[in-house]
Order: sequence, then C-alpha cells, then structure tokens
Amino acid sequence: MRAARLANVLFYYSPLALLAIAWDLSSRFNLIAPELAPSPGATLAALWTLIASGELTEHVGVSVYRESVGLLSSIAVGTVIGIGMARIEWVRILLRPCVTFLYPMPKSALIPILLLWFGLGHMSKIAAVFLGCLLPMVTSSYNGARGVEPQLIWSARSLGASQWGVLWKVILMAALPDILSGARIALALSWLLLVAAEMMISRNGLGFLISYTGETGDYANMFAAILVVVAIGFFSDRFFLLLMRWALRWRDLPA
Amino acid sequence: MPKITFNAVRKVFPTDSVNPVVAIDHIDLTVRHDEFVSIVGPSGCGKSTLLYLLGGFIDLSGGDILIDDKPVSGPGPDRGIVFQHFALFPWHTVLGNVEFGLAERGIAKAERREIAQRYIDMVKLTGFENTFPNRLSGGMQQRVALARTLACDPAVLLMDEPFGALDAQTRHILQEELLEIWSRQKKTVLFVTHDVREAVILSERVVVMTARPGRIKAVIDTRADRGGSSAAIDARAEHIWSILREELSR
Amino acid sequence: MSPTQKIRLGRWARAFGHYAGGAAIVGLWEISVSGGWIDPYLLPAPSAVFGRMIEQAMAGDLIRHAALTVYRGVAGFLIAAALGIVLGTLAARNRFCHWFLDPLVSVGFPAPKIALLPIFILWFGLGDMSKLVMVVITCIFPVISATYLGTSSIDRYLIWSARNLGMSERRLLWKIVIPAALPQIISGLQIAFPMALVVTVVTEMITSGGGLGGYMMRSARFALSEQVFAGIVTIGILGYLLLKLFDRGRRYLLRWHAESQM
Ligand SMILES: Nc1ncnc2c1ncn2[C@@H]1O[C@H](COP(=O)(O)OP(=O)(O)O)[C@@H](O)[C@H]1O
Ligand SMILES: [Mg+2]
Repeated sequence: MRAARLANVLFYYSPLALLAIAWDLSSRFNLIAPELAPSPGATLAALWTLIASGELTEHVGVSVYRESVGLLSSIAVGTVIGIGMARIEWVRILLRPCVTFLYPMPKSALIPILLLWFGLGHMSKIAAVFLGCLLPMVTSSYNGARGVEPQLIWSARSLGASQWGVLWKVILMAALPDILSGARIALALSWLLLVAAEMMISRNGLGFLISYTGETGDYANMFAAILVVVAIGFFSDRFFLLLMRWALRWRDLPA
Repeated sequence: MPKITFNAVRKVFPTDSVNPVVAIDHIDLTVRHDEFVSIVGPSGCGKSTLLYLLGGFIDLSGGDILIDDKPVSGPGPDRGIVFQHFALFPWHTVLGNVEFGLAERGIAKAERREIAQRYIDMVKLTGFENTFPNRLSGGMQQRVALARTLACDPAVLLMDEPFGALDAQTRHILQEELLEIWSRQKKTVLFVTHDVREAVILSERVVVMTARPGRIKAVIDTRADRGGSSAAIDARAEHIWSILREELSR
Repeated sequence: MSPTQKIRLGRWARAFGHYAGGAAIVGLWEISVSGGWIDPYLLPAPSAVFGRMIEQAMAGDLIRHAALTVYRGVAGFLIAAALGIVLGTLAARNRFCHWFLDPLVSVGFPAPKIALLPIFILWFGLGDMSKLVMVVITCIFPVISATYLGTSSIDRYLIWSARNLGMSERRLLWKIVIPAALPQIISGLQIAFPMALVVTVVTEMITSGGGLGGYMMRSARFALSEQVFAGIVTIGILGYLLLKLFDRGRRYLLRWHAESQM
C-alpha cells in the first residue's frame, strides 16, 4: 500500500528526473557551455558545501524569519481590516478609496521606498512582504465576510452570542475558505517579494545569496541557492495545502 | 398576562426604487403562555418578517412587540429560532452545533457535553455527534437545528417553515417528534408553514394572513380538531383553505 | 456602532464619503508634511510629488519609462497567454503531454520564479530578452493550469455531437473546445495579468535598462524621494488603467456568458 503510493509519487515526478538527466548529459557532452550552466554534479557539490559550512542554514533562517513575520502579520491585519470593511459601513467608507487605488498597483513598486525608510536590515524586507500581501488578504477576507448568510448570524445571536462574538465565531469562520485561498496566493507572493527585495537591498538571506554569487560569477553556488528557493516555495505551498485541507475539513472540498 | 403581544406591528422595507415595500401593514395578536400558534398565508405576505421582528433580528417600522410585557430589543436566547434551511454552522460537528448556545451561557465543558448529548439523543441522532452537517441528510440537519435550539431551553420557539424543505415522510416523523417534545417541555411556539394540514395537526390556533401588505385575516381555534380523526382534520384544513384561497386569487 | 447589522448611511453621505476618505488622507498628508511633522525626505508632500511628476512627464522621461514598462509587461503577458493556452490544451488532450507537464506545473506554479532571474540574465543578457522571459515564466503557470482545467472538463456530449456532425479535429478545437473553456482560461489570465506587472517592475529594478522600476530604484539610490514617489504614483495609475482595460476585454470576450453580466 505504502510502497504503491511511493511508486505513484515517483512516477508522477519522473519527468523532473528526466530533465535532470538531460541537463547532466548535455553538460557532460558539452552541449551547453559550462560558463552558462554548471553541471548537476557541480551544483549538488556546491549545495553540499553550502549546507556543511552552515552558510545555507544562516541564509535560510534569515529569509524564513522575514517571510513568516511579514506574511503572518499581513494575514492577521488584512483579515481584521477586510472583515471590518465588510461588516461596518464607516470602516468601508473610510478605507474603500485606499483599497481601490492600491489594489491594482504592482506591489513590488513599494520596495524602493522601503529602502529609503528602513535601510538594509530585516525591517525593509518584512515591510515589503507585509505591504505586498496586505491588500490580497484584505480583499479576500472582505469578499468572504460580505457573503455570510444572515440566518447564520441570527442563529448565533439567538443562541446568546454577542455582536462582537458573532464577528469571530460566525463571520470569521464563514469567511475562512476565502481567507485561506487568499493566504495561499499571499504565500506565493511573499516569497516573490522577499527574494526580490533581498536581491536588491540586503546583506543576507537567500535572495542576497543568489544575486551575490551571480555577480561574482560563482554559478554553481548560484544554481544551488536557486534550487533551494524553488524547493522552499514548493514545499511551503504543499504544507499550506495540507493545513488548508485540515482547517476546511467540514467542507466538500473540490479535488 | 399574555406571553407575546403584537401591537399595531408594521414593517416597511426601504428599497432602491422609489416605492418601499410594506411587508406588514398592521398586526395585533396576543399569544398565551405555552400556546402553539401556526401562521399561514400566501407567500411573500410577511410571515418570515413577523418571526424575524419577534426574534429581534430586524427593527420595527411601527407599533411594538412585547414579551412578558417587555418590548423586544435585539435577539436573545429566550427566543430560539429554527429556519427552513437549517442554518447550521457547517464548521462545527453535530455536537459543536448543539453545544454552541450552552457555551455562550458559560456552562462548563463536562456539563455542556452532557446536556448536548441528551438533546442529540432526543432528536434520535445518537452516533452522529462527531459528524459535520454536510454529511447529513436534510431531515437529520433539521433535527440538529432543533436540538441546537432546544438545548438553550428558550421560552419561545420560532419556527419558519421548518419542515418545508423535507420530503413528506421525514416531515411526518418530525411533526410527531415536535408534538411529543412540546407536550413534554411546554414552550410558546410560533410556527410558520404553507401546509395548512400541518398547521391544523400541530397547533392550538391558526392565524391566516392576507396577501401583502400582511394583515390578519382570520384566527381559527383548532384545539378541537388537532387530536381528532383524520376526517375532522381534513374538514378543518379545507375550511382554512377556503379562507386562504380568496387571498391567493387576489 | 453595530458590526453585524449593516448600518446604512444616506446616499449623499455615502457619495461624499467615497471621495472624502481619499481626499482627507491626501489633505492630512499634505498638512503634516508642510507643517513639519513628517520629514519630507521620508514622505514628500503630495504637491511636491505631483509637481515632480508633471515636470518629468513634460521632459518626456517619465513617459518613456512608463511606456517601456507597459510594453514589457503586456508583451510578456501576451506571449505567456498564447503559450500557456497551447500547452494547457495539449496537456488536456494528449496523455504524454499531461504526464510531462503536470509535475512541472505543480512544482513551477508555487515556486518563486524571480529566483531564476540571474540565470536568465546569464543566458540572455541584461536587455529586454531576459526581462520578457522572466515575465513569461511567471505568468504562464496560472494560464496552463486554468486552460487544462477548462479544456479537460468540457461536456463529453458536446464533443460527441460535434464529431457526429462531421467536424474536423481542428475546427472542433477552435469552435468548441477553446470557446467552452474560455471562462476558465480568462480567470487564469486574470491571475496572471497583475503578476506580469509585479514582475516587470521587480525585474527592471534588479537589472536596470530603463522602465519605471529602474527609474525608481535609481532615484532611491540617489535618495531622490520625490522621484521615487512620482514613480509609485505613475505605476499606481498605470496599474489601475491596465486592469480596467483588461476588464473591458474580459467582458467583451465573455459577453455570451451569464457571469459577465455582473
Ligand atoms: N430585506 C428585505 N428587503 C426588501 N424587501 C424584503 C426584505 N425581506 C423581505 N422583503 C419583502 O417583504 C415581503 C414579505 O417577505 P417574507 O416575510 O419573507 O414573506 P413570507 O415569509 O410570508 O413568504 C416580501 O414581499 C419580500 O419581498
Ligand atoms: Mg418565508
């Protein structure tokens, strides 16, 4: 049973292995110039040295710290603002113009001001992630909280829930599917913004590692770092998906 | 002292167009303690609106509603409601739904669990405690909604076409269960239905409403018929139908 | 104020509030800068920003950068849309393509593709090519996955009856499969389009070579905060206009579809 599942997974991802083999063969037979792409062997060796020296752990730690602080705070703040806008009219009137103007703005445009405001430390990157993910979170929680059936709210009220209690016992829960799918998009966006910001303004983190090794022509290390970033993006999405399935297990989930 | 008093109740909904909708024009009605009153009327005549006003979910446009001589202000656990489409919390299990109101009252976990279990058993859902509502049939979901409301032990029970979405067989079973529950734990019940026969079987009085704007057209005492023979029930239902038919054809 | 009963304000109050909120923020911002409470270097006054914008737009600088950014974003998006639709349709209709593409998409979709930028620079140089490739690789995944979902879930009877009428495979694809999948495809494009702009701007910031991203980054390096803000406002306006345009296009393409009548 377990073996069969493992075999299935291996078969599913076999095209990736095929690509790796193609990469290996073409570097062995000099089909691509070595200065354009290091061989898989060289890349793996570089990865191993990065791990063994502890350098990778440090950069990964810095990046994960910035990403999670920025993302989690944007989820928390964005959800509160979105639900507030959906359920309280004066909040909606105050914030609607900001949201309509800021929503279509490419989130990455803020990175240069953050450089001006916060300099090179953690804060500029955390802020980039936070500000970039804030609006997607506001709009998804707003949409979720707008559509709550009034009868659910009334049921809760006639079972003794207070008006404020209803906000998080009913409206937050009813909006959860929208909030979580917004958060999944924000998760992908957060890594994009973080890596980009680290490439531009940083002295550490994975984005810095990639751009620094690239600038110094150390391509084996650069490829290794890129592989790590891609892997982190992939696995964090998978992990989030599991979390989402669990949190929404009360729903008929689409496949 | 009556349990519930409707005094010249009026409800107007503002709409986007110029003309507001007068849902309820003028209703006077008193309901005794532990009385079972059904409300029938053409659809759109304001039956749900009347229950929502009593529940305190929406505001009056005129008149007042008294419960134990105190005006209604906002929803409260003294009035439980059961909706046609159940309105269960889909993210809570059966147990979680039934415990909701008990938790709001601050009852300790162990006791909450025990009370909830009693009501789950009462509506014959033993064994489904940890099931989520989307895995249950319509009839079972409505049983959960009934248990959830009864667990709070409200003095007034508002039911808005509670069996309307169910098949005939399930409806029949739930009607009998409701009567049995009502005869054991006395409650004042306001029961909206579009099924005249159901109204006769269940209630002590049937209120017939006019087409919109809703007013009271007739109030019929059915205590003599409800326990009686099928023929007596049919005759009374036919009588109410004939009153209602005038409104439907308007 | 009650959070659960939606409180309705009058129509005038609402119309007023709609603009007043925005105007109040801009006004407060202007006053607090000119009153000396905020360092104009960190947050230049709106009047200064707009002044700089008009000055640079007159000189043609800002307009040239904006045009470059729009060109790169839109061209990259269109290439990704075309390629993505082709690949998604192939994956839905051919088992080998499905076997090959499915795992690539499942890894590539969530991966932060921006990390690949140094590779593209290495391969394609610092010019437009590497930027376009970056935009394409970012936008293509949502398009492939939406097209795949759309084209593989088409009603079988629709296809059978078309075959029965003697339609060729080619015509079937163009007349039945793609139109039936259009709503899904467009929702994929709707995810991809904003991403195109985000990535264009980032790429320009990292690689120089003009465009609003480069303009802002250079301004930031020289600490010209008014120019940075001028860039942000320009990008904001462009983003807004482009999304409006996109929405027009979407409505036009979906005019037969019920959802579009919202
Ligand atoms: N929120 C509302 N806004 C405007 N009109 C409403 C609203 N709720 C109900 N109405 C109108 O009030 C009338 C009575 O509705 P309702 O009480 O639901 O009728 P019933 O339950 O008897 O079928 C209907 O004409 C309905 O369209
Ligand atoms: Mg009704």
